[in-house]
Amino acid sequence: MFQKIIEKINLKYPIDVVSKKSDKLMFLTVHKNTAVNTVQYLKDDLGFKHLVLLTAVDFLEQGKFQLTYLLNNPDIKIDIGVRVLIERESATMESAHSLWPTIATYQRELREMFGIDFPDSPGVNDEFILEGWNNTPPYRRDFDTKAFAANFYHQRNSRENNDPSAHMKKNLYPNE
Amino acid sequence: MGIIKDIVSPFAVWKHFFKEPVTIKDPLNRIAAPRYRGFHQNDISQCIGCGTCEAICENEAIDLVAVAQTKNGDSGLRPRVDYGRCCWCALCVDVCTTGSLKLSNAYTWVDTDGDNFRFTPGIDLKPWDSLKDGYTKAKGLELYPLERMPMQHLHAHQRDNSFIEIMKGYSKEEAMAEADRCVSCGICVAACPAHMGIPEYIKAIREDNLEKGLQIMYQTNPLVEICGRICTHKCETVCSVGHRGEPLSIRWLKRYIADQVPATDYYRVLNQDKVEKNSRKVAIVGAGPAGLSAAYYLSKLGYQITIFEKLAQAGGMMRYGIPEYRLPYDQLDKDINYILSLGVEINYNTTIGTNVTMDELHANFDIVYVATGLHEGRSTRIPGTEHANVYQAIELLRKITENKPIEVAEKIVVIGGGNVAMDITRSLARLQKQKYGKVQTIATSLETEDIMPADREEVIEAREEGAIINPGWGPREIKILNNKIQGLKVVQCISVFDENKRFNPKFDESVENFFEADMIVESIGQGMNLSFLTEKYAEQLEKDSRGRILVDTLTYQSSLPWLFFGGDIIEGPDVIHSVANGHKAAKGIDNYLNSIQK
Repeated sequence: MFQKIIEKINLKYPIDVVSKKSDKLMFLTVHKNTAVNTVQYLKDDLGFKHLVLLTAVDFLEQGKFQLTYLLNNPDIKIDIGVRVLIERESATMESAHSLWPTIATYQRELREMFGIDFPDSPGVNDEFILEGWNNTPPYRRDFDTKAFAANFYHQRNSRENNDPSAHMKKNLYPNE
Repeated sequence: MGIIKDIVSPFAVWKHFFKEPVTIKDPLNRIAAPRYRGFHQNDISQCIGCGTCEAICENEAIDLVAVAQTKNGDSGLRPRVDYGRCCWCALCVDVCTTGSLKLSNAYTWVDTDGDNFRFTPGIDLKPWDSLKDGYTKAKGLELYPLERMPMQHLHAHQRDNSFIEIMKGYSKEEAMAEADRCVSCGICVAACPAHMGIPEYIKAIREDNLEKGLQIMYQTNPLVEICGRICTHKCETVCSVGHRGEPLSIRWLKRYIADQVPATDYYRVLNQDKVEKNSRKVAIVGAGPAGLSAAYYLSKLGYQITIFEKLAQAGGMMRYGIPEYRLPYDQLDKDINYILSLGVEINYNTTIGTNVTMDELHANFDIVYVATGLHEGRSTRIPGTEHANVYQAIELLRKITENKPIEVAEKIVVIGGGNVAMDITRSLARLQKQKYGKVQTIATSLETEDIMPADREEVIEAREEGAIINPGWGPREIKILNNKIQGLKVVQCISVFDENKRFNPKFDESVENFFEADMIVESIGQGMNLSFLTEKYAEQLEKDSRGRILVDTLTYQSSLPWLFFGGDIIEGPDVIHSVANGHKAAKGIDNYLNSIQK
């Protein structure tokens, strides 16, 4: 089944990596400039009409974000994830809201949490769940969650930190 | 049509009136799923306060707070959970070494004071403490292997006629895998008499920085090749990983580090702080573990050390008591030679009282440290023990080390159930195998197998090598006919200790047994011989009601300020206690001399 789908896509758009996870799930890595076209082809011609989700992974060391469009074909009950690597530096990706209006919400979330821009996506610059955020987008891996929390939130007093071996020395053999 | 539908359809809904509702009447009291991750429970009787829960918690929701220590190998700390930080990921439950920590499936808790949402499960009692359901670690999920990495060793048929070392040591891969099981809790440190930095040197193995590992070990123990082989490893008895699996092979990991650093590198690796020598002189009587340990730490403090050793070589019981198959002489010498290389002088074949007197030591040295050990074998004093073919284990072991000829009879009975008894049993079994091609040695002890003081693996290995271990008998008489030993008559021993846990064996005289033998070896314990002190000094020493010399428990100083005692004379008997008290005596001697020379 997957083989036929791959052959069909290959006639129109290049695929870099194929990663089969099971009989029901496969990931394809495609080029940035043909990614939305590939997704549209899967939707319009190959029956993958349901968008499960759009998400991102921060590959900080490689300077890339990986976007994944997870699509479902409800007739044959198969999922395909379309992956695309984009530059982390001023990250931008073509909007797919013309395929599914709901994808605008995912794109708005990615804009806020990762700082990935989707120009022309409706409301992409509106606040999503963070109010008044003016820091590094928090899902970026170079965002120091712990330091932020330490500065931003009230710290409960009277925390203790006892190391077992030091505590036992203090109690059992303090003078040795 | 539209109008009719509008009129009829409300009635169509009525058919649902008789169906089970999908909503819940009282959503506030709904019971969660059986494996729901709700509020914490901690079984305080099981928890040892190892702190792995605190270490794994990414949210820093867990603090270890002091409570009363309940048992041996318990840090006296318990986890306190802050629900302002907890995200109920349950990693604390997954990593818990004892399995005491759980999440109940309770999930509702209303309070007006935010600070109340921080509590110590099991100590601060909660309504959900008794709930059975909730999250426990999934079956088969282990964050670290529960089985220890086995060590390559010689099998019985490969070792039963020679004194070649049995255990082969870990390879790098094996040591790394074993070190990886350590959860770095540090519970073991208190159990070690020398309080070695165990988690730190195991970490050095994981980092493959064995020179650092050696430095850490020498901070508290200068006999690491030796202890890496024959230590009584009290640490392993409290290892937190041992609560649900096999404890870390701490002893073998110590050996791995020592084995991997060549003797020629020791000086470079260990002698980093340049020591300024001073003019203070300390005489050490006895080159056993306590004397060597004191010599090492005193020489690191700049002292001039002279050791007086009665025998021809250093090591004491480690050389003359422990057989070569457990502790090869070259490894023993590796540790000893390093200590001697620091400028420690040693006079062999020198007996105090004969070659040099206590008066001379007192006159020529600032301090005299006595660690002469327990080298006098005790006798059962049963009829027949005066026969020439009745030996003391400790004397035979010494002769085997010295390569002196000893009589090896065809049939031998060893009386005793401790590690020395196993040492002589297994040594004689080897010699019998060499001489006769078969083993006929029986070891018997008062204690039944479950309470035999010998290490379990010693008993198992002795049997593998063909010796018979038949415990639970009290020796009554050595039968002699025409001046030739026939064997040992024994009766059943019912109990060894009385209600007050004092040694007071009871026998059933009606149950007899007879072990045939041409030679009997007694191994029921050793005593000390301090006659070299002479009456002049012995009388001045303060002693307890049982005649034991009293020393300060931190400094090991006796009532004569210039005279310190240590080693098996004071506590143990084993190597690691001697190493520890030799180290403490070194610090005690230094503190004392500093205080009087201010």
